[in-house]
Amino acid sequence: HQVLRVVPKSDEELQKVQELQDLEHLKLDFWLAPRGLGYPVDIHVPFPSLQPVKAHLEASGVSYSIMIEDVQALVDEEQTEMLRSSRQLPLSTNTFNYEAYHTLNEIYSFMDMLVAENPNLVSKLEIGRSTENRPLYVLKFSTGGTNRPAIWIDTGIHSREWVTQASGVWFAKKIVQDHANNEGVASILETMDIFLEIVTNPDGFAYTQTTNRMWRKTRSRHSGSICVGVDPNRNWDAGFGEAGASSNPCTETYHGPYANSEPEVKSIVEFVKGHGNIKAFVSIHSYSQLLLYPYGYTETPVPDQKELHEISTKAVAALSSLYGTNYKYGSIITTIYRASGGTIDWTYNQGIKYSFTFELRDTGRYGFLLPAKQIVPTAEETWLGLKVIMEHARDNMY
Amino acid sequence: IPDSGHKYYLQFSTEDYRTGENAGSCLATVLYPKKKSPPVVSIKCSHTKDQKEIQEEDNRLYQRIRQQTKPVAGNNIPDSYGNIEPALEPVWALAVAGSSSILWEKSTENLGYFLAQVKSVQQWIRKDDFIEFDYTVLLHEIPTQEIISCHMRLTWLPQHPLRVKYFCSENPGMEDGSGAESGSAAGASAEKGAIF
Repeated sequence: HQVLRVVPKSDEELQKVQELQDLEHLKLDFWLAPRGLGYPVDIHVPFPSLQPVKAHLEASGVSYSIMIEDVQALVDEEQTEMLRSSRQLPLSTNTFNYEAYHTLNEIYSFMDMLVAENPNLVSKLEIGRSTENRPLYVLKFSTGGTNRPAIWIDTGIHSREWVTQASGVWFAKKIVQDHANNEGVASILETMDIFLEIVTNPDGFAYTQTTNRMWRKTRSRHSGSICVGVDPNRNWDAGFGEAGASSNPCTETYHGPYANSEPEVKSIVEFVKGHGNIKAFVSIHSYSQLLLYPYGYTETPVPDQKELHEISTKAVAALSSLYGTNYKYGSIITTIYRASGGTIDWTYNQGIKYSFTFELRDTGRYGFLLPAKQIVPTAEETWLGLKVIMEHARDNMY
Repeated sequence: IPDSGHKYYLQFSTEDYRTGENAGSCLATVLYPKKKSPPVVSIKCSHTKDQKEIQEEDNRLYQRIRQQTKPVAGNNIPDSYGNIEPALEPVWALAVAGSSSILWEKSTENLGYFLAQVKSVQQWIRKDDFIEFDYTVLLHEIPTQEIISCHMRLTWLPQHPLRVKYFCSENPGMEDGSGAESGSAAGASAEKGAIF
């Protein structure tokens, strides 16, 4: 069906249009009825009548324009829009609101949209399932090749650190944009892949939305305790169970019954080992405004301490350059506190030299409850720091 | 310091909690004695605001609260998304000030705290000019990462020091909805009830 517009410029033209009104068999629907000279007449013409109506107008020399080429298409679009806006779902990653915190489902649907919009760059991998059987999704950004050297970024391993998952969503979009505009990380993507796990602890995240905003751990139950959850950043096989973690299941830094007991951790361990070519690993937390490198479980400095410290200096300078946000940096144990069984201690010992942890905004004023309007500035500045690390990895292949 | 304890030398700047403006700087020494007891502190600060300014701001804050037509009450300040209702901002400011005394008294050489959230606040109307509030505040404990719930009663009148009485429950893992009871404040229990 189409909608045609006629603007009669003479009495003859006006008469020709009015004639159409009498032809009932054409089943015309006048959205704007003829009024007089110079006034537009809009006619909704069903498909079978299109030919005769156009022929009638052309034969009389009455000019018309096609206002709506396909009425059904518009109706369909509006229907989808209405459904979406009643559930408040964005139509694309361009209408997604990066300045707000989102639910788990919204983030999952964001991932699917991003993949659908950029099938040649982005794919979604399921690396495992959480304790409560939620999928553990990783986005892979790749321009090709086979098992290229890669960068890993994870956010949301501690579920209450909401600015991190939100930043992860922003990072995903940013990577796609840079690639489309051939700037920023586009050059990195020429030779390396990027893996991004946005909701590293989905069970915990769901729990922070439904029940306890301050939940940090996983939601596993291990025999012998009424308490729930293991600290996923104490569950890795690096100094596991040593000082810097708790053996009490009811505490926030409980390391778990054994290393990799948590599927959220085990799946990453298996992925990293299976991939075998990850060159940089960044795990993102909040809050405190820190950039950290290993170790947390021992005071012994890492062999690459000097290089990691230099990278940190540059990364923090880049980060601060945007909004003046102050970051401190150093090894985990010298900069915050002793912590055993931590992610980047394990990844470093696996040979991933460029292993870093960020602690994002702020320094305690809002803490975990960072106002949504700080999401984008936080993501933007952090991205500058991340790029320094990624570029260094690219330029210093090992 | 051998056989004595650990002495820390600190230089730090301060900022207005609400505006972020520079509020002066301080020099301090903190001595933690070998035997666990409160630290010995000597401190000297420069202030960017003079007494008069501070008094005026205190009065403004006081008036804002007194002007309310009904007793102030609220929950989750800030909320999960970091929002603070403008009407509750003064009450939050008082909570920050009041809980700072809890943070100070509870801190040790190895344990520090941040105010994570005001879980609930209820104003008690008094016959005199003092304003009084009952708070449940959540403290974030470092490095244990625990969330500690404290009940805080605060009374204040400008030109008088804040009076704070508090009771904190230390029950690791009580947020997990296991159903076991604890002596924790009303806010935490209400949440637990909702889980099962």
